[in-house]
Amino acid sequence: MLSMKNISKVFKTDLVETHALREFNLEVNEGEFVAVTGPSGSGKTTFLNIAGLLEGFTQGDYFLDGVNISNLSDNKSAAIRNEKIGFIFQGFNLIPDLNLAENVEVPLRYRGFNAKERKRRVQHALEQVGLAARMKHLPSQLSGGQQQRVAIARALAGEPRFLLADEPTGNLDSMMARQVMELLEEINKAGTTIIMVTHDPELARRAQRNIQIVDGQVCDFTMYQGGERTIEKPHLVTGSQEPSNQDKVAS
Amino acid sequence: MFFYYLDLAWRSIKKTPFLSLLMVLAISIGIGITITTLNIYQMASINPAGERSSKLFEVRLWSQGIDTWSRLNQQITYQDGFNLRKSPVPVRQTPMFMTGFAVQTDDPEFTPVLENARVTDRDFFGLFSVPFLYGGAWDKQVDSEPAYQVVISEELNKQVFAGENSVGKTLYLNRKPYQIVGVTKTWNPSPKYYDVNNGAFNDAEKIFVPYSLAPTEEYQSWGNNQSWRNEPMDTYAQRLASEAHWNQYWVELDNPEQIRAYEEWLANYIEQQKLLGRFEMPDAKAEIADVAQWLKVNKVVPEDNKILVGLSALFLIVCLVNMLGLLLAKFLKRAPEIGVRRAIGASQTQIFSQHMVEVGLIGFCGGVLGLLWAWGSLSLLSAHFELEDALTQLGYSMWVLAPSIAIIAALLAGIYPAWRICSTNPSVHLKSQ
Repeated sequence: MLSMKNISKVFKTDLVETHALREFNLEVNEGEFVAVTGPSGSGKTTFLNIAGLLEGFTQGDYFLDGVNISNLSDNKSAAIRNEKIGFIFQGFNLIPDLNLAENVEVPLRYRGFNAKERKRRVQHALEQVGLAARMKHLPSQLSGGQQQRVAIARALAGEPRFLLADEPTGNLDSMMARQVMELLEEINKAGTTIIMVTHDPELARRAQRNIQIVDGQVCDFTMYQGGERTIEKPHLVTGSQEPSNQDKVAS
Repeated sequence: MFFYYLDLAWRSIKKTPFLSLLMVLAISIGIGITITTLNIYQMASINPAGERSSKLFEVRLWSQGIDTWSRLNQQITYQDGFNLRKSPVPVRQTPMFMTGFAVQTDDPEFTPVLENARVTDRDFFGLFSVPFLYGGAWDKQVDSEPAYQVVISEELNKQVFAGENSVGKTLYLNRKPYQIVGVTKTWNPSPKYYDVNNGAFNDAEKIFVPYSLAPTEEYQSWGNNQSWRNEPMDTYAQRLASEAHWNQYWVELDNPEQIRAYEEWLANYIEQQKLLGRFEMPDAKAEIADVAQWLKVNKVVPEDNKILVGLSALFLIVCLVNMLGLLLAKFLKRAPEIGVRRAIGASQTQIFSQHMVEVGLIGFCGGVLGLLWAWGSLSLLSAHFELEDALTQLGYSMWVLAPSIAIIAALLAGIYPAWRICSTNPSVHLKSQ
């Protein structure tokens, strides 16, 4: 479903060149729940931004659902983001002036759904996250966990093929984080592919696959099943390069 | 999506009322000043003859002698006016000049009033499409066989006869009884193109009397009485035969053939007059000008007005530059929200449109407020500078023009801020929220 081949991303200023991603290779299959871990500055967010078509890349090929993403116009990128991708952010990123229903409705507006369809989808999405009764509330009237659930509802309302979550539990206490994680697992079970960036190894273990990014490269991945590590195999970043730190993600 | 953007724009304005008010004020002041000068300019340059503009012609003759006035006079003499009436070419034609009367009635309680009057032929009313409330113009016969008949305006009729049908009643002009044959409906062309010599923006006269009565009643011309030569003017007859009793002369010519024929007739007239010792200049000529040309020839719209409109437009630009700065500050502050909108599927075009609708709404509010400024400033000008009412009335077109200019101007000012906000990288703001 998602295929990145030799993706590089270089940020340039007059003085320095920063390689955020180097020859980055990744395949994500439909229905997978992939956790992305790695130290700060390793390139996790850059990867997520490129995956979500929020940023372009310097080199390489990126196929999403069989579509070559390289050199897409802004309008086409926006349409793909709107139809196929749902975003969940660490800071929730709800629009403070809009109530919950209006927040969830935003992507549906851009997609051109009529009022009836928008209302149906908003209702359904908020029911999925257990907040249908509070749809007229403003985000500021909700707890952090509830706000994140609204953000998830917003991401789900467009019925995307996959969700990109950037530290979705980073601003939540452990109980709230667990609730959000359970919600994401339910969504994944319903068939939505999820890629989640996290610092929390506990949460990472709950994903089916754990990818570690170091210095802009996938250095390792581990498969889990039912919270237990089942497969561990080295991942070739390039044709010739052998991974050197595969043990770092051992449970 | 337009109404969604409009809803977002309204919320945004409510969220930052002070900043929004500043922007509305900035554009409204610019619009207010622009509309004020534009209104004066438009009112001054309006062609009141409308569709008939190209069929009505003012006649000028180069009648002065050698080494006298060096340009074509704007009027013709009484004797030329009298003679030109004989031309069979025009559909309608009339000589005329302005005079004035002390007006009295049979009612001894009525205080006499001094009113402007126009001495003219019956064709005046048809030429200039003067509408009638009661009665009509005097008979054609009166143009050659003088009769004491008069047409008065609706306003004078209200003043003297309380608005009743006064046709058939007697009105005393300089103590002479005149029979009222018609009452015109309110009619006040602005500019008063049929006689721009006596105040292009003055009101139309309230009294109209037959031109044929002039020699008998010795109506004094309240207009230009200068002559290009010394000549005896001891009697009224001498004055009428002089080069000092200036009249306006208008003809109606319906098609190019008639225009050509009339120009030819005028050329022949000049040749005949030369044989009589008049029109001494070798290149003496006649010229006719339709209403639009006539207003231009007479510089009814002064050059200063155009400069003023240009200056006010420059001031509007300064206001817009201020607005641009405020918009930029407002929009860039919203970058994190726009980052979210972009991430969840809004295209650059949609974000650009959203902001342009907001700018348009601010422009519309500024336009409406600017209209009020313009109305206020025109009222002030009218009250304190004694400008003619015709110039200080806010034209109906301004009610549409002011918001339209404001919206277009605001949209122009909003292009850069809207482009900046829609082209920012959304990912920069998503993590920082």
